[in-house]
Amino acid sequence: MKIFLNLVSATLKDMLRDKMILFWFILFPVIFMFLFGWIFSGTGSPIHFDLGVVVEGETPLSAALVSSLNAVDVITLHQGTLDDEQDALAEGDRSAVIVLPKFQGEGSVTIPVYYNAAEQTNHILPLMLGEILNGVERMILRQPQMFVLDVQPIQSEPISDVDYLLPGILAMALMQLGLFGSMRLVYLREKRILRSLGATPLPRIQIVFSEIAVRLLIASVQALLIILIGYFVFDVRLAGSWWQIAAAVFFGAAVFVSIGYMLVSFARTEESANGILQIVQFPMMFLSGIFFPLELLPSVLQPVVKVIPLTYLGDLLRGVLVGIPYNYGPSVSLLVLGAWLIVSFSAAVRFWRWD
Amino acid sequence: MVRQLTKKYRNLTAVNGISFTIKQGEIFGMLGPNGAGKTTTVEILVGLRSADAGEIRVLGFDPAAHKEKLHQKIGVQLQMPALFPRLTVGESLKLHASFYPAPFPVDQVLEWIGLADRVKTQTYKLSGGQLQRLAVGTAMISNGDIIFLDEPTTGLDPQARRQMWAVIGQLKAMGKTIFLTTHYMEEAQYLCDRVAIIDHGSIIALGTPEQLISEHFAEKAIELPQVLAEHKESLLNLPGVTRIQADGDKITLYAAQVEAAIRELIQREAAGVLTLSGLSVRSASLEDVFLKLTGRSMRQ
Ligand SMILES: Nc1ncnc2c1ncn2[C@@H]1O[C@H](COP(=O)(O)OP(=O)(O)OP(=O)(O)O)[C@@H](O)[C@H]1O
Ligand SMILES: [Mg+2]
Repeated sequence: MKIFLNLVSATLKDMLRDKMILFWFILFPVIFMFLFGWIFSGTGSPIHFDLGVVVEGETPLSAALVSSLNAVDVITLHQGTLDDEQDALAEGDRSAVIVLPKFQGEGSVTIPVYYNAAEQTNHILPLMLGEILNGVERMILRQPQMFVLDVQPIQSEPISDVDYLLPGILAMALMQLGLFGSMRLVYLREKRILRSLGATPLPRIQIVFSEIAVRLLIASVQALLIILIGYFVFDVRLAGSWWQIAAAVFFGAAVFVSIGYMLVSFARTEESANGILQIVQFPMMFLSGIFFPLELLPSVLQPVVKVIPLTYLGDLLRGVLVGIPYNYGPSVSLLVLGAWLIVSFSAAVRFWRWD
Repeated sequence: MVRQLTKKYRNLTAVNGISFTIKQGEIFGMLGPNGAGKTTTVEILVGLRSADAGEIRVLGFDPAAHKEKLHQKIGVQLQMPALFPRLTVGESLKLHASFYPAPFPVDQVLEWIGLADRVKTQTYKLSGGQLQRLAVGTAMISNGDIIFLDEPTTGLDPQARRQMWAVIGQLKAMGKTIFLTTHYMEEAQYLCDRVAIIDHGSIIALGTPEQLISEHFAEKAIELPQVLAEHKESLLNLPGVTRIQADGDKITLYAAQVEAAIRELIQREAAGVLTLSGLSVRSASLEDVFLKLTGRSMRQ
């Protein structure tokens, strides 16, 4: 045990003094977190509408309508002429434009609404506006309301894009640490360091364990940094308990470390190991839904999506970390990841060559 | 300790049925040119490669079967130094020390290998010779009963080589057994109690350096560095000369009666037949033995 701790400390020093390792495994995920955080924070959600209002004749009625529109939280009013507002709509600065005509006398009044149909969320705007106008109408006619909605929000805070991305970035970091971190064992073999240590009383399997221990340590630093940056800088809400998060992170790291060792055990040289890893990690990153929801991918790719482990780690971390509803459920994810762990571990043991 | 050891790499026989025994407390040297099979032998003895045939016992263990137990009791320096690149000299020695039950103190080994002023240098920044010395240090720190050194002084400057010889001598004085390989005749001659000369995977001579020399040469060697090849034949009939060895431009005469041979040489020079510039007389060495046994010089 003492030998092992000495070895771990030596491995740690040897790795952390390598600037490239520091950059790729610590700094890179942090940069990614900031970059994606800034790009995506505040856009898209929560739902919000910029409504252009054109008042063609000031009347008590139009004033009442404007003030009830103003009372709606998610609507920001912009008053202007029809031309100006339509221009703004064309440029995407307005979600919709409503034209309040000069109200005079009795009878029904036509109220034109133009909206930007390119935005998915805008489709609910006409319905909303209709409902608001109905409310005003009932008030004027003193009609009692027949149905009264008792609205109770279940989700207190909205899920933001950054909420979705943070577990994805963490999953990506763990994957890269697992895959590319495994290169070191090939390096140690090629530089004959494994061979050299093989002539000492040190059991060589301890070298692998020590490599893994150091990588789990780096994984926890990665996770901590990403989560803290998310929490303090980008207001990502955290759902799971610490031990759940830690368990998911370590399990995910272990799965990818094992897959990494499987992949490099197919290669004889550092170059070919690196090639294999690149070929695997690049598509995995984009087909796993860690950066955007899987529904956006064409259906031909769905079978691929459903076997790659990163899909499940992303899903698991999204659920555990920020409480985004699971696509697959934690037990399915754990099962698939566990299967990958066992298969890759056996393959690594089977194909790895010590020299 | 080693009987009929054979190792084949596909169709190349790297070690061809060699047998020898190393005595406890001696410095045993294996001397041979590139590709002779020295490294192959060392790596089999320490359990890093398996033999194709033969019986081996190191400290009573079969290295292939009881690697773990054997490694507790030996120190090994492989031919190519391979250490964690970003550990410092001190940390590397400390790490290796931690593997063994009763290692030498790090400071003492630093002293031995002359790297005390480089303790805090990361190993990838060391020069070739310094790295080589550190690798030897990692073998020595084991405090093992046998220290295996595969070309411990290759790449060292003459002063560092002398220092290394002194340390190896010190280890012997402490009762260690040392197995080393080398290309250097003078190293084998100076350092080793017994030497096995190996060529093409076979041991062609084995004994103390003095034995080997006296067994093959009762004569002294006269070296003539600048003799034209056409005079070679005529030199054979010099009085007292028993053998002639040509190696490039250099001709070595092995003479039982040096004085008579030299007298005749001087006369021939006076007659203008040949030039004696650069002439030297020395005792025969292992180099001469190797030359005689293989017909080649060691460094070609
Ligand atoms: N792994 C290997 N596969 C195939 N051939 C090998 C292997 N290792 C060594 N050989 C061959 O075996 C022969 C003996 O090699 P070895 O390394 O034992 O020589 P050596 O005496 O240590 O030489 P040097 O002085 O250059 O270190 C050489 O011809 C070499 O090419
Ligand atoms: Mg060698």
